[in-house]
Amino acid sequence: MSQSGATVNADCITAYNDLKLNKKYKYVIYKLSDDNKEIVVDSTSEDGPEYDDFREKLINAKTKSKTGAVGKGPRYAVYDFEYNLASGEGVRNKITFIAWSPDDAGIMAKMVYASSKEALKRSLPGIATEVQANDADDIEYETLVKTVSKGTAA
Amino acid sequence: MAQLPLPSSVQPTDVYGGDEVSAIVLDPGYINTRAGFAGEEMPKQVLPSFYGHIASSQRDVFGDQAIYPRADLELRNYMNRDSVVEDWDAATKIWEYALINRLGIPRPTPASKNGLNNKPKPAAEGEDVEMADEADLDETENYEKPMAENPLLMTEAAWNSPKQREKAIEICMENWACPAFWLSKTPVLAAFAAGKATALVVDVGGSNTSVTAIFDGMVLKRSIQRSPVGGVWLSSQIRSLFEASEPKVEVVPTFMVENKKPVEAGQPAEARLKTFDFQISPSFRAFEEERVLTEFKESVVEVWRGPGRYLAPGNEDYAKNLPGRVFEMPDGSNQMWREQRFKVAEGMWDDNAAFPSATEEGKITKAQTVPGLIKASLDSIDVDIRPALLANVVVTGSTSLLPGFTDRLNHELTAMFPSVKVKLHAAGLSSERRFGAWIGGSILGSLGTFHQMWISRKEYEENGPGIVEKRCK
Repeated sequence: MSQSGATVNADCITAYNDLKLNKKYKYVIYKLSDDNKEIVVDSTSEDGPEYDDFREKLINAKTKSKTGAVGKGPRYAVYDFEYNLASGEGVRNKITFIAWSPDDAGIMAKMVYASSKEALKRSLPGIATEVQANDADDIEYETLVKTVSKGTAA
Repeated sequence: MAQLPLPSSVQPTDVYGGDEVSAIVLDPGYINTRAGFAGEEMPKQVLPSFYGHIASSQRDVFGDQAIYPRADLELRNYMNRDSVVEDWDAATKIWEYALINRLGIPRPTPASKNGLNNKPKPAAEGEDVEMADEADLDETENYEKPMAENPLLMTEAAWNSPKQREKAIEICMENWACPAFWLSKTPVLAAFAAGKATALVVDVGGSNTSVTAIFDGMVLKRSIQRSPVGGVWLSSQIRSLFEASEPKVEVVPTFMVENKKPVEAGQPAEARLKTFDFQISPSFRAFEEERVLTEFKESVVEVWRGPGRYLAPGNEDYAKNLPGRVFEMPDGSNQMWREQRFKVAEGMWDDNAAFPSATEEGKITKAQTVPGLIKASLDSIDVDIRPALLANVVVTGSTSLLPGFTDRLNHELTAMFPSVKVKLHAAGLSSERRFGAWIGGSILGSLGTFHQMWISRKEYEENGPGIVEKRCK
């Protein structure tokens, strides 16, 4: 259960299943609705299939504050990492949950996302790893693959 | 399991748009008690947790303006050094003072005056009398239960006992008639406010320093480590420094000084001291001395940034050549502080560098230093999650505002865990570190969705105070 009381929109789970079971997406990005009540789908790999598109989307994510000011925004994301094992034993897939909360986002937004995270994570069965990322360096592809594969990737 | 939306029949009919909930956030500490409305950026009221007890009239007085030199005044604190409430009667009174007198929570209009109970003129006279009685009863009840319209979110130390937690909800529900209650642990709020559901929270507060691991928004109980190495302890180190200085430095609190003349650095003060025709209690004097020491901490003391300890060869000589800082006592005596201003805070990191303490509780061991606490905390938890915690170290608490504190912590952690990525998160705004837990509670309590989290009055009445253990994990 989340600690903020925020709920998860059913589309979030549909999109996740499309990623996990149907391999329709490489990633799904989630956000909180403007009234902070519900977690909804922000975007998917449909409009930007590359990792760089994904990273750009997170870095440029925005959130509107109570007063209407627009600032940097946290997001949740699920990315289906695929990497070759260094040992040569083949390819591995790891569905990774990323809690993206840039350090320079507003305190209100950070608080809402951090306290609502559990609601979403628990609605998505089969997540292999979870990463908490707080600045652009944390979401470099190499950094993430290293963490996700626990150093076994080539 | 996922949190499902409440069925429409249970959902509240009025929708809160954010900070209209009029929830109150109360964050009690050993030095200060912070209170304010949820949704606001800062606590409106920050008052000392020390309060005055007037022995002759057996009266308690609260707030800054009640603490001045007066006959019979003895200072007490309702919290203990572990940040846990010790005297519940005093706690109730001081909280009521903070919330009702200072915060000015509007009392609900008595039922007899709100216009809703105006009945058409009674036909029989007997009925009239009965009604008046009823209205009177309502009024007294409302007077005694002043917060019937305000949900209350309270914070607590991570090590608070179940008994203490139940007592808190009892006061809120029985004494104040709050419609709803919630209890949050301070390190969880601090971690959330930093945008992290998983974090190692290093809270360097007034009366103690604690290290707590938070994983997915939950406190890992085994990881909780704490020691007295906080602001008050640092004050005692400063006293030892003053004692050891040549000549000895006297702490003369501001209230004793009538007037003063400027003197050269290192010269004895030329000040006329006030005389009082009543006894100044030692507790009042200690409280006032603490104010002077706090000023000294804020303007002079600095943490040796590292790398390496202050006692490592060469560092002290280097510190001696750094620019010093002058501190003027309230009585006008002043002097330059150079290497001492680093040395006095070094005990937080290195027990060998601590000044010898006259009292037993002032002595610390290696395990009680900041690095010692962090090591013990991490040793107690699963190896697999340590990297995630070290990459998310949240630094909070007002004593962490000492210049150089985060630099030193960073050096200590990288030296301790050379193969792991260490990343500190310390709010840049000093208010966010002083009031981290209060601000976290303020945001949480103001969220529109939070209304389904509160322990409602009805739940309390059905389940009793034990409900708090089940719900506020």
